[in-house]
Amino acid sequence: MDDQACPRCKTTKYRNPSLKLMVNVCGHTLCESCVDLLFLKGSGACPECMVPLRRNNFRVQLFEDPMVEKEVDIRRRILRDYNKREEDFASLDEYNDYLEEIENIVYNLCNNIEIIETNKRIEAYKRDNREVIQRNKTRVGREEYALEEMLELERIQEEARKKELEDLDLVHKKKKAHDKQALIEELMYSGKDAAQIVTEFAEKAEKQRLEEKNLPPPKPANEFSTGIKFGQTADHTLLSVPKSEEGPLFVYEPLLAFSEGPGVPPISDIESKGYISHIRPETLQENAGGFTSSLACQRALQEAFQCLFYTAPSVGTSTVI
Amino acid sequence: MYPVSSQKRSWTFANESQLASFRVEQNTKYIEQHEAEARANNCEVDDYFLTPAEERLLLKRYEIHLADFCGRFDPPMPKCVVGTAFHYFKRFYLNNTPMDYHPKEILATCVFVACKIEEFNVSINQFVNNIKGDRNKATDIVLSNELLLIGQLNFYLTIHNPFRPIEGFIIDIKTRSNMQNPERLRPHIDSFIDATFYTDACLLHTPSQIGLAAVLHAASKEQENLDSYVTELLFVAARDKLPALIDAVRKIRIMVKQYQPPDRDQVKAIEKKLDRCRNQANNPVSELYKERLRRLYTDEDDIPADDASFHIADVSSDTSAMNISQ
Repeated sequence: MDDQACPRCKTTKYRNPSLKLMVNVCGHTLCESCVDLLFLKGSGACPECMVPLRRNNFRVQLFEDPMVEKEVDIRRRILRDYNKREEDFASLDEYNDYLEEIENIVYNLCNNIEIIETNKRIEAYKRDNREVIQRNKTRVGREEYALEEMLELERIQEEARKKELEDLDLVHKKKKAHDKQALIEELMYSGKDAAQIVTEFAEKAEKQRLEEKNLPPPKPANEFSTGIKFGQTADHTLLSVPKSEEGPLFVYEPLLAFSEGPGVPPISDIESKGYISHIRPETLQENAGGFTSSLACQRALQEAFQCLFYTAPSVGTSTVI
Repeated sequence: MYPVSSQKRSWTFANESQLASFRVEQNTKYIEQHEAEARANNCEVDDYFLTPAEERLLLKRYEIHLADFCGRFDPPMPKCVVGTAFHYFKRFYLNNTPMDYHPKEILATCVFVACKIEEFNVSINQFVNNIKGDRNKATDIVLSNELLLIGQLNFYLTIHNPFRPIEGFIIDIKTRSNMQNPERLRPHIDSFIDATFYTDACLLHTPSQIGLAAVLHAASKEQENLDSYVTELLFVAARDKLPALIDAVRKIRIMVKQYQPPDRDQVKAIEKKLDRCRNQANNPVSELYKERLRRLYTDEDDIPADDASFHIADVSSDTSAMNISQ
């Protein structure tokens, strides 16, 4: 621990307990104050390898070996593009080849082997697989979201459990106090032997404790602590198809035209008996809207015939003037 | 569907005396309400107010104006608008008297509403361009009367005109009867239908009966006989209903035949009388009307009365705005 030191200002953890070592993409460490000092303008060169760095890219060093930090950094960057998954491959072998290639690239970049060549390979891969990369990026986002949801669920469950325990505790305490009170009262007012009463109560308490041990029925666990469900393995990403409430079936009742007049020929007669030839044919636009000339023809006939039988109702009020 | 329409249910009446009784009732009601005015003017009630007969003459005159107005309308309006406007006009004066609402105002409103209902699209500006006189004032009158009219029609606005039944009969005659060239009936049919508009036929008979009457009338004018078409084709399955139809057709034809246009001079005298006895609260040039309107507006908007300026108040009172007739 105490050999953790800033390579530039030589401060150690021992001398400055609040020392924070930072690391950038090149994998060389610097302490926080040195970063502040050197990268005042936002960017500059690494004092050890002279690689141009940005200040934003500095982050706190988590691992003791800065090379690990560097690898983590590179791996993260590579995996952002190499985000294919097993489902994207036809066979397991292909997937394994792909994983090996990633490892190769990471190793090369970490150890400065064929950097230019490797970068070219990455570029080519990015170009060829742009669509897949984009798609998988959004998929990852969705997965993260689901994970968050799971965590939230777990937190709620945790709280509920805590509350349950607290409630149980409270009940216990109350009961204990009650028992004690009963014992004292028994001792005070009954004429029995005090020692006998005490042993009686002690036995009772013992029995209760045994009962309680048996009491809480263990809830049947249906998921691991990670939130992955087992048992009834309904795929929880798919909602079950909602069952709709079905009322009585619709029954078609033909419309009874109340016409008070001679019957109108049906559409088939209008077309076959020559009514249709006395009306202009519908235009293409009208036909697209569902109108046919036979409909118009039938309507005209219908309006002509209906209520021909009509006679005025004989109203008594008509004579009143 | 006419058989289930409000027109059949509420606006088709038994006979002419029933219509007359409505009109007389409106007339007496108005006179009862405004009797004091006659006494204030030192007049006999009969001399001061219009009699039911005078009202009829006046309205007949304005029906002619209505037809003229529609005929000269620009852009030319389809027939069904005219028919609908006539229906509205007749219905309105069944439940109102011309002394309450001047026919020249209701006339324009009827046509305007009919244009809307029959989907003959004219804007109010286009509409008032057909009216001689002050257009702003006409706009005001038409728009302010529109709701009144619709309310008086009991919001029953769908009108079944006889035009589509006539088309149906012509199709049927062409198809089933052996009459030569039924198209030559059309001019006679049109003139007959125009003539029915001046009568009360549309309040007493169904559009199909009126249509058939028009077709039969036109056939007789062309020296054709369609009786066999009616008896052997139309009523072949219901011979017992034939007398009722013959009666209805006869009544419609008599009504058209007996129609007499009102005498101009007589109507002029009636109009003069009307100017005195009309309800001043509904007269846009009267002080009473302006006062009423002003109160209406100030109540609604809390505007002080003397600040409010209206179209109607701007118009000089001696120009008659709705000069449709002359």
